[in-house]
Amino acid sequence: MTGGEAFGDLRAKVTGAAVFASDSRFPGMLHGALVRSDVAHGLIVALDTAEAEAMPGVTCVLTPDDFDGIDPFYGELVLDQPMLAIDRVRYVGEPIAAVVARTRREAVEAARLVQATIEPLPPLFNSDEAMGAGAERLHPNGAGAPADVPNICRESRLAQGDVDAALAAAAYVHHAVYECPPVYHYAMEPHCSLASWEADGLHVISGTQQPFRVRDTLARMFAVPTSRVRVRAPYVGGAFGSKGEAKYEPVVAAMARKAGRPVQLLCSVEESVHTVTRHGCRVEMWTGLDSSNTIVARRSDVTFDTGAYSDKGPRIAHRGAHRVTGPYRIANYEATSRAVFTNTVPAGAFRGFSTSQVLWASESAMDEIARHVGEDPLEFRRRHLLREGEPYLGFDAPVDADLGSDLDEAARLVGSATPSSPDTGTGLAIGVKDGGGGAARAAAHLRIHPDGSVEVHAGAAELGQGAQRVLARVAAEGLGVEVSRVEVRLGDTATAPFDRGTNASRTTVGVGMAVAKAAASARVALKVAWLADGGAKGSLRLDGADLVAGEDRRPMVDVLARGSGLPAREFPGLAVTGTHTDTQEEGSDFFPTLFYEVCATGVRVHVDRETGEIRVEHLASVVEAGHVLDEAGGHGQNVGAAMMGLGTSLTEELVYSQGELINANLIEYRVPTIAELPPGGITSVLVENAEGPGPGGAKGIGEAGIIAVAPALANAVEDAVGVRLRRLPLHPEAVWRALNQTAGSSPDERGR
Amino acid sequence: MDDPIGTTVNGERCSLPGGASVLLIDALREGLGLLGPKKSCELSVCGSCTVLIDNEPYSSCMTLAQEATGREVTTVEGFGRRGELSDVQQAFIEAGAIQCGFCTPGFVTAVHALLDRHPNPDRATIQRYLAGNICRCTGYAPMLEAVERVRDRRLAAAEAGLEQVR
Repeated sequence: MTGGEAFGDLRAKVTGAAVFASDSRFPGMLHGALVRSDVAHGLIVALDTAEAEAMPGVTCVLTPDDFDGIDPFYGELVLDQPMLAIDRVRYVGEPIAAVVARTRREAVEAARLVQATIEPLPPLFNSDEAMGAGAERLHPNGAGAPADVPNICRESRLAQGDVDAALAAAAYVHHAVYECPPVYHYAMEPHCSLASWEADGLHVISGTQQPFRVRDTLARMFAVPTSRVRVRAPYVGGAFGSKGEAKYEPVVAAMARKAGRPVQLLCSVEESVHTVTRHGCRVEMWTGLDSSNTIVARRSDVTFDTGAYSDKGPRIAHRGAHRVTGPYRIANYEATSRAVFTNTVPAGAFRGFSTSQVLWASESAMDEIARHVGEDPLEFRRRHLLREGEPYLGFDAPVDADLGSDLDEAARLVGSATPSSPDTGTGLAIGVKDGGGGAARAAAHLRIHPDGSVEVHAGAAELGQGAQRVLARVAAEGLGVEVSRVEVRLGDTATAPFDRGTNASRTTVGVGMAVAKAAASARVALKVAWLADGGAKGSLRLDGADLVAGEDRRPMVDVLARGSGLPAREFPGLAVTGTHTDTQEEGSDFFPTLFYEVCATGVRVHVDRETGEIRVEHLASVVEAGHVLDEAGGHGQNVGAAMMGLGTSLTEELVYSQGELINANLIEYRVPTIAELPPGGITSVLVENAEGPGPGGAKGIGEAGIIAVAPALANAVEDAVGVRLRRLPLHPEAVWRALNQTAGSSPDERGR
Repeated sequence: MDDPIGTTVNGERCSLPGGASVLLIDALREGLGLLGPKKSCELSVCGSCTVLIDNEPYSSCMTLAQEATGREVTTVEGFGRRGELSDVQQAFIEAGAIQCGFCTPGFVTAVHALLDRHPNPDRATIQRYLAGNICRCTGYAPMLEAVERVRDRRLAAAEAGLEQVR
């Protein structure tokens, strides 16, 4: 890895000067705390706030009685989630009231004194119970759902050919079920939002990935003009999907409205876990082979447990149907994918947006089938992989990478030859995810000030993915100035043009192109003014405050002002806006993919037969980057995603007992530490084929590195010790039980 | 009750708010406006709130301000001099060890303590010492690289100093 430079956010972050939402203050600010349900499903029959209101320091307690003039519901596609439960609670941890007090501690202590009387209803702890005949409906069924099965939030189906016939005629049908539990993002900064009602409207500061969506949601819910809502995302302490759409911004705005003072709500980690999770998922898969061991059909049935409210569940289920079949040439396929309501914490976006869960099944199955037919898993994949230029799934945009060579590289790096030491093995998997998240327009404002310094405003948020530095480089390269002359300001709806949000690995591509176009327009404008001013012909560049071509040097503002009729002292420099539209058809159910995020993961593991412990010796992550704009940042995304994948594959699991999350803290929910870094390291390879739609042929890569880690690990375990695991995480106990062939505990017995 | 004895925070004498129930992190953040130490797990697991008390790392989220009374407290704001970055801070930037930045203040602080106690740490020592600082973004490889860079530079500088003496 080569060095990062001390521009943009890095200096502020390393000195402690960087300001996050949890560091932000409004003058005269009060603090909030939420009262949460301890019942998974029930009717609220009484809410007594008197004792809490009488506590010293308490300003007020917000309840649904205060929703006058407010539409309390929000969501991404389906507006089914109330900011505070109204009449009915649907999960343990659901907010039911909110206390505003002088200090956070006073608010938290008073929140404990709010008495809620909740009459329990039969709870639905998992998707099987929720879809069972006679199960109480938590919400009306959503799009694509069969009417007779309760609690289907969304169901999508994608098919080609005749799967029934092909499976019936197949020489061999592989059939297996793969499961993964819900997990948590654990962005280091817990959810935090601030709201202040001022003379010019509602001001919100929030650790959010989607400041414009939050703005529009707040304007709708509080019935105020969009022009009177300003949302700012300062530096966000990690997100990984957990801070998209509105989360606590609506309830904080309502608290501030009732208190008549600004309010900050800072969640604990336990509360953040009770905000949004990654979907637990079950995939049942049938794969049929003909007599020449070629795959002729694949049927996938995917069930995501989406929790108590829709959040992003509908789109995650929908995309799951697109991703589960895998990047292979399969003439007959059918994928059905559904999200199911249960009385658990709402599940939502998580780095990969369904891809990790469905690839866990399909890339495990590829190895199992290869072993069954006695073929090397890499060669078996190679025979079926889509070649560059072939359409994904037969109808989508052509694959824009050489998938086989990526797998070869991953295999070479971890050493695919027969391992020399016993109980050691290697595993491979390849992940392909449609990147960019669908048709979108991105824009950026670019200003060149009279002193030649450059300011860029864009609506993306800086989550740590390095958007600020990437966009600064794009602007600097486009204008031919030093990157230190460029200041990129992100995430403020009052100053930036609209941006849909920082998700789906889309910022480098979409916003990057908008900045590149703004820089190109600025160059053209400067050139036109220069020639009109009689400047020398030849290559024109900006050098400090001057424009220079050959020996001819003139102050930029003089050149611009002479054409405008204004005196130079009145001239503010040059301001342009760049816009970029991703070329995708709207309205189609499965829109053509803009670019593919591709990752080939290789791992080498050693399995301890005594303890069942999997020791990851080396991981290689080969990612198609198109064009690398920021080397340290690019490798950082890749290595960080791979490490996160080790966590979600080996140790991470949210455990429910009777609907209650029993490990919503960092002691019992174990994320990787530096001690888990593989001794052989994580080798990051960024492949540059310049085929991406972003600046210089760049692609987004934020999600790629995580999506293929879990199946690569399970494949390596089978290579090492000959047992196959089909449920995540790959706990030592599960490995040990498989090695010793004792009956493992079923998912139900594990406390779901 | 204010601290009558006087405490040093980042080299300056100051009073920490006392009392039995004030956490050091609140005294630093709310009382002194030092926002470098961050609140995340609030259980002394994640290390984002790490500060030094007499050069020993503490989780300020689980330490009472009283415990620091009369002692020398260092937060991330205390490293580096007059706008210059410390060698650890510089190495974090060079190695790409910063993404969202929320763990960075605690990590930088812990690395200073590590190299103070173990001037020539091997990889296992580094991993053991820093296992109390969680980062969810970087995957830790760049942190390891940053520590090794500083270690090697300090050792080289010490060697060069020794050469001069000879």
